[in-house]
Amino acid sequence: MTVEALNQRTARIDGELKVSGGADYAGDHQLPGMLHGYPVVSPVASGRLERLDFDAAMGAPGVVEIIHGGNFPRLNRSPDSMAEENKVGEVRLPFEDDQIHYHGQYLALVVADSFEHARAAARLVSIEFSCAPAVAGLSSAGEGREVDDEAVTLGEPARALAAAEVRIDAEYRIATEAHAVMETHATLASWQDDRLTVYESTQGVVFHRNALAQVFAMAPEQVEVIAHYIGSGFGSKLFMWPHSVITCAAARLLGRPVRTVLPRQWNFANTGHRPASLQRVRLGADRDGKLQAILHDALNETSPVEAYSDSCASATPSMYACDHVAVTQRIAEVNHGTPTSMRAPGEASGNFALETALDELAVELGVCPVELRRRNFTVRDPASGLPWSSNHLLECFDDAAGRFGWERRDPTPRSMRDGHELIGYGMATQSWSAMRKHCTARASFLADGRLSIATGTQDIGTGTYTIVAQTASQLSGVPLDRVEVKLGDSQLPAGPLSGGSMATASTLPAVAGAVREAIATLQRLSIGEGGRFEDAAPSALEFRDGRLWHGDESASVAELLQTLERGSVDAVVSTAPGDEQKRASFRSFGAVFVEVRWDPGISRLRVARVVSTIDGGRMINPLTAHNQLEGGVVMGLGMALFERLEYERDGRLHNHNFADYIVPVHADMPEIELVTLDYPDLAFNEFGARGVGEIGLTGVGAAVSNAVFHATGKRIRELPIRLEALLEE
Amino acid sequence: MRNFSYQAVERVDSAVARHTEFATSAFLAGGTTLIDLIKLDVMRPEQVVDVNRLPLKRIDLLDDGRIRIGALVSNTELAHHPLIRARHPLLSAALLSGASTQLRNMATTAGNLMQRTRCAYFRDPTVPECNKREPGSGCAALTGINRLHAVLGTSEHCVATHPSDMCVALAAIEGAVEVEGPAGKREVALLDFHLLPGDTPEREHALEADELITSVVLAPHLDSAGAHYLKLRDRASYEFALASCGVILALDGQRIGQVRIALGGVATKPWRAFEAEASLVGVVPGRESFEQAARLALAHARALEHNAFKLPLARQAIVRALETALDDAQGGMSPPARSDTGAGSPAGDSP
Amino acid sequence: MAESSRCAVFDPREAPPSAPHLDSRTDYMLSEGDRSPPGTLRVGFTLNGHPASIDVEPNVVLLDALRDRFSLTGTHKGCDHGQCGACTVHLDGRAVNACLILAASVDGARVTTIEGLAASHEGEGLHPLQRAFHQCDAYQCGYCTSGQIMSAAALIDDERVPSDDASVREAMSGNICRCGAYKNILRAIRTARAELGVDRA
Repeated sequence: MTVEALNQRTARIDGELKVSGGADYAGDHQLPGMLHGYPVVSPVASGRLERLDFDAAMGAPGVVEIIHGGNFPRLNRSPDSMAEENKVGEVRLPFEDDQIHYHGQYLALVVADSFEHARAAARLVSIEFSCAPAVAGLSSAGEGREVDDEAVTLGEPARALAAAEVRIDAEYRIATEAHAVMETHATLASWQDDRLTVYESTQGVVFHRNALAQVFAMAPEQVEVIAHYIGSGFGSKLFMWPHSVITCAAARLLGRPVRTVLPRQWNFANTGHRPASLQRVRLGADRDGKLQAILHDALNETSPVEAYSDSCASATPSMYACDHVAVTQRIAEVNHGTPTSMRAPGEASGNFALETALDELAVELGVCPVELRRRNFTVRDPASGLPWSSNHLLECFDDAAGRFGWERRDPTPRSMRDGHELIGYGMATQSWSAMRKHCTARASFLADGRLSIATGTQDIGTGTYTIVAQTASQLSGVPLDRVEVKLGDSQLPAGPLSGGSMATASTLPAVAGAVREAIATLQRLSIGEGGRFEDAAPSALEFRDGRLWHGDESASVAELLQTLERGSVDAVVSTAPGDEQKRASFRSFGAVFVEVRWDPGISRLRVARVVSTIDGGRMINPLTAHNQLEGGVVMGLGMALFERLEYERDGRLHNHNFADYIVPVHADMPEIELVTLDYPDLAFNEFGARGVGEIGLTGVGAAVSNAVFHATGKRIRELPIRLEALLEE
Repeated sequence: MRNFSYQAVERVDSAVARHTEFATSAFLAGGTTLIDLIKLDVMRPEQVVDVNRLPLKRIDLLDDGRIRIGALVSNTELAHHPLIRARHPLLSAALLSGASTQLRNMATTAGNLMQRTRCAYFRDPTVPECNKREPGSGCAALTGINRLHAVLGTSEHCVATHPSDMCVALAAIEGAVEVEGPAGKREVALLDFHLLPGDTPEREHALEADELITSVVLAPHLDSAGAHYLKLRDRASYEFALASCGVILALDGQRIGQVRIALGGVATKPWRAFEAEASLVGVVPGRESFEQAARLALAHARALEHNAFKLPLARQAIVRALETALDDAQGGMSPPARSDTGAGSPAGDSP
Repeated sequence: MAESSRCAVFDPREAPPSAPHLDSRTDYMLSEGDRSPPGTLRVGFTLNGHPASIDVEPNVVLLDALRDRFSLTGTHKGCDHGQCGACTVHLDGRAVNACLILAASVDGARVTTIEGLAASHEGEGLHPLQRAFHQCDAYQCGYCTSGQIMSAAALIDDERVPSDDASVREAMSGNICRCGAYKNILRAIRTARAELGVDRA
């Protein structure tokens, strides 16, 4: 094979569309006769809806109908199953009862002939409600209830902790965080007889299709969900939210297409968030820093209508060599919208607690934080007892520390200064589990010689279009610009969710299988009756550089198909994880080092530098992979310094806009150096890729808080770290 | 976003005349406040009078050294204007620290004066209590999430912060606002333009009904003054101030001859710290006198549940802005805008 | 001096019909014979170099008009309140937030969107910034990209803003990229600047 398409910094094949405004996002689509939906939501967090008065709104210009509990059709709840791929963000159906569970809960949808008319009329709906006491946040939610199947106990952690020479016992808090995707959720629904077509901003066209089919009691084949381009998701678009159900129902009721694009403020309120968490970590160690016990107890908020567990401590048993580990998870109901997965769900939060606690242990022992982690490196996964498939964490420490200049660190807090500023160095281990799901892909050689790949996953901005093309090009020798990739449509062979860093590892084996099968089919047909190499021995044929060779003779794909008088040769292949899971544990690791600068004279904290070295297996496309990892760092900086959804005493969401929920901007950017070690994890899949969507974010919060301790001498156990926590006068 | 009637006008007198035709009428300039607040349903004008075509886009140096800025000069044009950069670098710096490039391109000089508060309770009409929106309804911020609220100039009826950076610089520079209304033209001193909330927080400025701002006239600049605008906030850019301080400082030999200290982000109106200024005049500048001035500036401040940090933060802003303005004054004439807005890239100056 | 009268009176009882949907990307004009429906204004402006006209009610915002009435969906809605920059377009050459501009107020103005950027520049094909964004991978999901590019294009043409990294970062801070592709965006701007020969100290 002469094409080297893998492990190349290939510019995205969909790039020209993205830079010229041509990429089509859900809300960009219009259909003839289309109506516009605009939501009416609860202004309070807890209570009962008494009455909605639509008189003024119905009389407003352009209003066609108002959808609400009184005219909403009877629908079915989705079974909400991960295994059956119909999991939803919120299983409660819209308008199901008069209970108000959270601020921003849907009460009605105004449907009008233009966006402006729908929006103006929504202001005219008058809402009568009675208030009930709300649980405003985690601090007033009590102890919650334990999530039974998440408790893990290895060895005898309580006894080991009691016997340890050195102990750390601390609580860590993380505020509720918003995905704050740039493209708000959007649905365009249209019905043709008993078929439903939906343009949706989703990270899972198959899941969304299945969920809608369940809700509307249809066969999955009757529903098509399309998401060619998605304005990012970060988890908030994995599972269906109620706006989609309401919009589909409205379109059916009115017999016209309906498009609802969520207003920004309600996108903050009712499409998921990373739940606030409270974690207690207890560490026991000997004087040399060898961990004797790890006890990690986590509590996260959930909503009154859904039992969402963030599984904050789930990675803890796998992180370090320690025989005595206990983790527990509790959830407590608050009157907020339902939480959901947000980039590195659970592990990002758990990592902050564990990696900050380790820094505290390092300080207690007087040991270098890097050295402490080295001493507790584990060659197998303590949680499963299996060896790692591929683990180069120690090299990550060396590489990142060297690039960062960690040796310049004077461990004494407040000892490093530059002008007005105190300088702090901090670090943390990064980690994310490697997962793989089943996937089906179709490869088609087309009459014009192009190779077309189709699979029902989607590209949420990670570069899936491009790595699929690279893989197909690599295996076929067809040049990249002759490979077409179709994603983002539930009519295509079923592909995985774009989440959990598993799209690459799940999708590429199926694509590869389909390409190989298509080549084999093409060869088989070409030596058969009427083929270009009729009666040639199969072993005498070679498919190379996009051509079929027989000795010195060769024919292009176009010629082969012409000879066969076929429009295409297709192959569909399904792949799934195998028994490799029984032989090894699969996990990516990394090390992140951060320099902060604290100007005590004006209480200004800035992150100046970040160096992160990641062992994430083979990078199919280092250009897009590094971009994602750097993006993870940026979101980690937001988590560390800025991001915090705030709730009033009555549970109302306070800062549901981009001015008050602040995320990093250009001017916040530190110097970021991102390195990937290129060790293919061939036990995981033939391409050796483990996925890089989440790991970049992990560790950043702890590394920042550890650096802040080094700069200021103050141990901050709560994210985000705001200036008032550090202010000195 | 409710609908409204729309009028585009080309003359000041017709703008005023049109404005009088409706009980709730609003002039539209840059729109960065008005359209935002109409979308939020906080402002519900029956009529919008688009004044963008009025001939109010000039910046002129007057014979007496004052500078007249047309009401419709954009924040960007004003910040980069050679006259402003040379004579009022504080204003240039304050403008460039505000909002974003796009918003500064849209926002106008008069519109910035008329900017409304960012108080979340004011901006959300589903909150029943807001004396600014609904006089007599109460103030949700007093017991709410008031981290961003004011500590100076507050009343029991309103603690909303004035959000402008430009107006902080104007408060230090001084001058006048020229307005035209049904009763003709008049002038309002800049320092009298914004009102304290008192028990009428719905009254934010000295304009009478249907009056239109036509220009702002800046007082002559101080000779040989140093200046500095320091804006402190959570992220490095595109955010309102938690505390900001604008200083103009002129030396008289080794002593401070004249000094102006204005504060933003901490007060209900663009704030002048007169007592603090008085304590510095005639004094040999130094850390101690600056800290004493800072204490005086915040002496009457009142903290709420979540914003007590603004007192020390504002004091820090004052001290650092004074120190930097002093350096500037000692370094000679005030050249291009010097500012420290938190926007400087932290990268590149590692050890 | 005579004053041209441009006004629309809002009467909540009258519902003007939706504007005709236009598909062609160069024919943005209504027929001159058409009369504006009651409650609307006829707005004439230059859109991506072509004459354009539209009848709008006063509360129609430029962003929605571009997307829904002209099918120029490359300009995206992120926050709808001037807080994210996704909707950045050029109005008479300046970068502005299209979400805070009334469509009625652009009468006589020149509006350029991402779809018209390449044509506004001399030379073949994409604008150098568009090529640089592609080559540098200066995006992920692509949703904020049009706004980033429009801001960057105005920035490169604005000789008042220095071209050092800190100044560029500050000037670009009105464009949020939640994917966090800031490093590559900065690289793309540097790359395009070098190509255009407009480095400024």
